[in-house]
Amino acid sequence: MGPVKRFFARVKNFVGGRRNDGGLDERMNEEIDEHIALQAAENLRAGMAPEEARRQAALKFGGAAGIKEEYRDERGLPFIDNLMQDLRYGMRMLRKSPGFTTIAVLTLALGIGANTAIFSFVYGVLLAPLPYRDASSLVVVNETTPRVGIVSASYPNFLDWRAQSHAFSEMAYYQQINFNLAGANVSRPENIQGDAVPSNFLSMMGIRPYLGRDFLPAEDKAGTQRVLLLGYQLWQSHFGADPNVVGRSIALDGNDFVIVGVLPANYRSLDKVDVMLPIGVWLTNNQDAMDRGDRGDSMVIGRLAAGATLEQARAEMEGIAANLAKEYPEQNDQFGVQLRTMRDAFAGEMRVQILALFAAVVFVLLIASANVANLFLVRGAARTKEIALRMAFGASRGRIIRQLLTESFVLAIAGGAIGLAIAFAGIRLIALLIPQDALMGATIGLNGAVLLFTACVVVLAALVFGMAPAMQWAKRDVQEDLKEGGRTASVGSAHNRLRGILAVAEIALALVLLAGTGLMLKSLYKLINVNPGFQPDRVLTMEMYLSSERYAKQPAVENFWKQVLDGVRALPGVESAALGNHIPLTDAHGRTDITIEGMALPKPGSFPHPDVHAVTPAYIRTLGVVLERGRDFTEADIATAPEVALVNEKLARQYWPNEDPVGKRFLWGRFNPAANKPPSWVTVVGVVGDTKMYGLANPARFEVYIPVLQSAPNDMTLLVKSRIDPTALTSEIRGVVAGVDKDQPIFAIATMDKVVSNGVAGPRLTLVLLGLFSGLALILAAIGIYGVISYSVAQRTHEIGVRMTLGAHRGDILRMVLGQGGRIAVVGIAIGMVAAFALTRLMAGLLFSVRAGDPATFAVVATLLAVVALVACYMPARRALRVDPMIALRYE
Amino acid sequence: MKPKKDVMQGTLALMILKTLDVLGPQHGYGIARRIEQISRDVLAVNQGTLYPVLLKLEQEGSIESEWKASENNRRARFYRLTKDGRKQLRAETREWKQTAAIIGRFFEVKAEDL
Repeated sequence: MGPVKRFFARVKNFVGGRRNDGGLDERMNEEIDEHIALQAAENLRAGMAPEEARRQAALKFGGAAGIKEEYRDERGLPFIDNLMQDLRYGMRMLRKSPGFTTIAVLTLALGIGANTAIFSFVYGVLLAPLPYRDASSLVVVNETTPRVGIVSASYPNFLDWRAQSHAFSEMAYYQQINFNLAGANVSRPENIQGDAVPSNFLSMMGIRPYLGRDFLPAEDKAGTQRVLLLGYQLWQSHFGADPNVVGRSIALDGNDFVIVGVLPANYRSLDKVDVMLPIGVWLTNNQDAMDRGDRGDSMVIGRLAAGATLEQARAEMEGIAANLAKEYPEQNDQFGVQLRTMRDAFAGEMRVQILALFAAVVFVLLIASANVANLFLVRGAARTKEIALRMAFGASRGRIIRQLLTESFVLAIAGGAIGLAIAFAGIRLIALLIPQDALMGATIGLNGAVLLFTACVVVLAALVFGMAPAMQWAKRDVQEDLKEGGRTASVGSAHNRLRGILAVAEIALALVLLAGTGLMLKSLYKLINVNPGFQPDRVLTMEMYLSSERYAKQPAVENFWKQVLDGVRALPGVESAALGNHIPLTDAHGRTDITIEGMALPKPGSFPHPDVHAVTPAYIRTLGVVLERGRDFTEADIATAPEVALVNEKLARQYWPNEDPVGKRFLWGRFNPAANKPPSWVTVVGVVGDTKMYGLANPARFEVYIPVLQSAPNDMTLLVKSRIDPTALTSEIRGVVAGVDKDQPIFAIATMDKVVSNGVAGPRLTLVLLGLFSGLALILAAIGIYGVISYSVAQRTHEIGVRMTLGAHRGDILRMVLGQGGRIAVVGIAIGMVAAFALTRLMAGLLFSVRAGDPATFAVVATLLAVVALVACYMPARRALRVDPMIALRYE
Repeated sequence: MKPKKDVMQGTLALMILKTLDVLGPQHGYGIARRIEQISRDVLAVNQGTLYPVLLKLEQEGSIESEWKASENNRRARFYRLTKDGRKQLRAETREWKQTAAIIGRFFEVKAEDL
């Protein structure tokens, strides 16, 4: 009971003390006065003189100041009282040295700001919970083939997976579809995207429609009614967030769909989802989906059964896939499966980039903390007397250490506050530089988790840079400090050693960052200089997808393309125009097996499997692809003319080595000698250079070009090479298309230059940020070594004076000072090199045609750092040379 | 430093409680005089150390205090044992006697007894 009552009484006094400070203080003073007065009266009665009586009474009472202190401690909560006192004192000390405070706070603010900004990406992309029920058990399943890599699953294979696997409690196959949205709700026809999903999809993901209902099992079958769920965005933008939207209809591809619901605002998908419809609607229009060899733009997601692990699921699925490959060799030979968690699917290649940047900012923060610790040590040296005096007056060591740590915390918190502002601006800036879809719907911002992280960073930073200076006082002989008689010079070799170590650490950390940046720079330089196989300048591209009912059959499609092309070619300023269905670097693709005439027939999974591009005449000229041999297509290569094709160099070299490929023949698909119809041969009429279809860093694949006029696709990209800035033509081209079909949307409008630069946007942004961070690290490390050397020169002014008097040359002095800096730099660089060799290996995945331990890069960054360190040491060295021996000696 | 002070404070608290038990309400000086008389040295100097202990006891609820006129005809703070305080005194007296008895027996033990 007692201690509890006492605690509450103390809290009450502590809180009450704010309002009515001194209630207890007055009582104590009065009690003490009366006590002494009573004792003095007693002494008087014993015969003492009044003066003496009073003096003896006071003596007997004891040190009133100490007792009052004890009394106050007992009364309130001394810990908090002390903290407030330390805070006030700390603030005063920091205000008294504004230069120190400003530099320390800004250094920390940059470090903490960079950490907060990058952590907001770490959190948003890698840590934030995905908006699904038990997201960690959701797994994305794809098929793989050695000829291509990862591909979509075929629908019949999926049906077998679902029927045979036990590791999954549920599985869903969905298809990505583009639609032409035109009609009452839209001002200009537009292309929208959607997923066609089975009725169990949303419930499997743990998502309920925001409005309306989920799909019904009956809607999984071909021939179902046209219904759909609106994406939240589309509902907002096209239906004014109408709460009564359910039951209204929307025209997609000229067909009316009844809206049965709206998806929730936080719905996140691996692709853009403007609308969602039942897979039955898609199956109605895509009967080939039932062909096992048909692998379109689909996704398979499964939910692991209770207790099943990803590894078990992988082992089981690999077994199922192996059986399916044996059972259906024609469609499945050499096809395997790939399983990854939903989180991996969302993070993708960003994971390495973000983690590399996060490591970089942690390094920056460590360097910043080391720098501030160094500043503290210098100031600690200057404050030796002040602190020794306080200790002599009875402040305990613990109290002094607490005081110094409080100052560190005040600095760190101020740095953290400014750091948050820097992070806020930084996040917005980075968001501007990231290509729009790259984040896959991740929300980046200063949310609770990020703020918690920042708070932890502030505390850790304060401990990191506050501990070293504070511990200096843990075991010191105060007597010595006071005896020093005001000289701070001998404060110590321990101080100096610690400061040297901190400077070495800063240089080592900076070297690791610079090495990383150097490697990224070299890698990006090589990437940008990769020959993409085409000339991107002055080429505008835009995509059109003829999905409306009116283009269901020829010659509507052919006529549309012909009219658009003729119209665009007639525009002034157009140098050439063409159509193609898969332009490079956009992931648009179509592939098929071919059989080369005369080749030994391989197993079904090993036939040549080129990318096939349907193009108009002048496509290769418009895109600037090199025609190496033979001829381009002409207007005469129409459906009734003999089938012709162009092949790329890689395919020609592989299948017709040392021969002229022009005139050679192949056929579509795999040759079946048992079939009784004669093979229909396609003749190669030309060879063109390889183009980079799948990113500059990836090798070219086999490519075959076929004339559009022999088989016109519905989905094509228009390429316009102009004599001037191609974007100026956009509205005129829109006019031409609208003149042919006013309901036809145009989308993915971009110059080819932009397409190329988007392809390197990720590495470029990583490089920009890494460069920024390592520049910061370099400056901080330079300041660090400068601080150490210049402080040491100031300390040794006397010594330098003596040396000069005794006849030391300027060169000797210079050598002495630079030697000290040189040792720090050399040790720091050596340690940094070892660390960089080990650590840059982790970023190997980010590098293109540069090895992680590239010696040239390492040599350059080490030299750079050495030069910067030398310059940083030279400035204090020059000051040492200017020492006037007479003044230096007299100063003592 | 610390443990010694705690022992001091503990004994002092017990002495205060006992003094108030025997003499009834007293001001700080009265308590100090009484303790001095009986214990001689403990409070010969530093009588002031009494006051933080008085405050602690009061905050624990063992004693309570009020202003009353002193012999000087001025105000002094008079302390009085509470019911809790009396209970605490009884308990601590018992404990103290036990401890003292045990320690005493230890001191009486001679080498040949073992």
